[in-house]
Amino acid sequence: MTDTTAADAKLIAPRRRRRSATAKPLPLIALSVGFVALWVIAAAFPFLWTAWGSFKVEADFFSRQNWMNAVTGVQTLRQTGEAFTMDGYEGAWIEQEFWRAVINTAIVTFFVTTISLTFGTLGGYALARSGFRYTFWILIMALIFRAMPHVTLVSGYLLPFFELGIWGYLPTTIIVLVAINQPFTLWMLHSFFLSIPKDLDESAMVDGCTRFQAFRLAVIPVMWPGVITTGLFSFLLAYNDFTVTSMLLTAENQTMVPKINSFLGSTQAEGKVMYAVAAVVSAIAPLFVLIMFFQRQIVSGLTAGAVKG
Amino acid sequence: MARLQLKNVNKRWGSYVAVKDFDLDIADQEFLVLLGPSGCGKSTTMRMIAGLEDVTSGEIVLGGRNVNNLEPKDRDISMVFQSYGLYPNLSVYENIRFPLRVRKVPKEQHHEMVMTAIRMVELEPFMDRRPADLSGGQRQRVALGRAIVRKPTVFLMDEPLSNLDAKLRVSTRAQIKNLQSKLKTTTVYVTHDQIEAMTLADRVVVMNKGEIQQVGTPTEIYDNPANTFVASFIGSPAMNLVEGRIEGGTFTGDGITVEGLKAPSGPVTLGFRAEDASIVPSGGQIAAPVYAVELLGEASMITWRLGEQLVSVKTAKDYRAETGQMVEASVPAAICHLFDAETGKALPR
Repeated sequence: MTDTTAADAKLIAPRRRRRSATAKPLPLIALSVGFVALWVIAAAFPFLWTAWGSFKVEADFFSRQNWMNAVTGVQTLRQTGEAFTMDGYEGAWIEQEFWRAVINTAIVTFFVTTISLTFGTLGGYALARSGFRYTFWILIMALIFRAMPHVTLVSGYLLPFFELGIWGYLPTTIIVLVAINQPFTLWMLHSFFLSIPKDLDESAMVDGCTRFQAFRLAVIPVMWPGVITTGLFSFLLAYNDFTVTSMLLTAENQTMVPKINSFLGSTQAEGKVMYAVAAVVSAIAPLFVLIMFFQRQIVSGLTAGAVKG
Repeated sequence: MARLQLKNVNKRWGSYVAVKDFDLDIADQEFLVLLGPSGCGKSTTMRMIAGLEDVTSGEIVLGGRNVNNLEPKDRDISMVFQSYGLYPNLSVYENIRFPLRVRKVPKEQHHEMVMTAIRMVELEPFMDRRPADLSGGQRQRVALGRAIVRKPTVFLMDEPLSNLDAKLRVSTRAQIKNLQSKLKTTTVYVTHDQIEAMTLADRVVVMNKGEIQQVGTPTEIYDNPANTFVASFIGSPAMNLVEGRIEGGTFTGDGITVEGLKAPSGPVTLGFRAEDASIVPSGGQIAAPVYAVELLGEASMITWRLGEQLVSVKTAKDYRAETGQMVEASVPAAICHLFDAETGKALPR
């Protein structure tokens, strides 16, 4: 125990010294801290504002008399007798059955992420290790598909899906989202695999692995940060998608984002817009949890490809 | 323990020939070194033995069995890679145990086998560390330990020392030599460093441009290079080579005349080693102004410029001369090698 602490102290000491040696002038520190603080406020404000407002009534949050009403909650107090109300959440979750959309989103994101990652890791590995020149053209093709606006792909799918009678179902949407997402996962994982030296799989094969065992036992354990980062991006694509899900799903099968949009679409009826606000907050919350939970892997995943030779 | 035969092995990528008509019989327990400059096909040859590259034509026979179509895992070999190829997520102990695990060696034998290997490569204190926490030399020893943990028929080592610093290279080299003589496993070792080749090998195969240039013991290769390529590749410094003509047993080149050579008249390349020649006050075969004087520590090296070529002679460490000063050197016929001017092949002495 004493050994390790002594070694640790030795490791830490030169780092501290270096930091004090390159101390920056005070105005520069003040400026950069100020800038970061400003940025954090600008980025966080919409979330905080929406989260706060979701517990108010529409007359407060979208007040025409005084924007301060959204903070103080004058109308909320008058209408409900309390400073905060759960009306928006009740309306969205119970009356409008927002939970169905949550389940649909869960199904869509789960399958989109797992399917894209399965094909992405296998394909990315194959492309990274293949010596053939056509791999370059496959990747370029993938890039072109990735560059297209999603809506151009969706409009092409609509008629065939109607004709085949598969329009409106979750699996159809999952397939389309995977198709849209796959080029990106291939690219991302391909470059992660490139950063892993070929010697690793080769020594595994000499040590007694088949090609697939080498992939599973030697390469994938090193690849986790890359897989998690790519998985997170796939998750976000499916989770946040509006174009595809709004055009390819029936009202009953809607995921969260188009559902929220449908709340907004009926602004005439009072109270509906607050459902949307409450639903938005409900949809954001899991993302925070997810990113905080995986932030270490994400950071190492985002930087690993750049640093390793 | 096995004999390894390569029968007329070729490797081509499209029209590029990487290895051409490689024909070699490696005896059981032999330490064979493949030596050559980068891109000469030595690593490709080793990768074909390992099964990491396909053979375009020819046969690889290991222990009497053709292994051309076997996967690397079925060839019963182990390999040490230049960049070690360690599993970064596993500890030293688990790295060395990995081959036993994937080859389904009974679990109860693992610990003993791993510990034997760890002791052989002297890594007991670092058993639980990850490769990232080890120095280059220690990583290399983990790779060695992983190679010896099960008893393979052949060891393959692909430039295992080239990522180490000079001092560590010498000690690890000695360790490899010691391990091989203990384990008595047939070993094929690839390097571009001729000193490694000379110190380690039972036999050296010098390769260039995908072809074998010469096969022989280190002494044979040093003393009797088969052609100008081997002559200029082996030795530090490499053999001096001077172009010129022989007329009636006398070689004449720019600033050099050697008499008493037994060779037919015509253009030839004359070669001699820097340590075989010596500086003389007068009557030497070389007489020319000095181009450079280098101090090596244990000796001094005098260099002349004869025509296009630089020619060097080693002499006592306290010898001093000025650049441009006339200095003579004795190059008797007995130390000279003659090579065909066109093909570069050695002429009979």
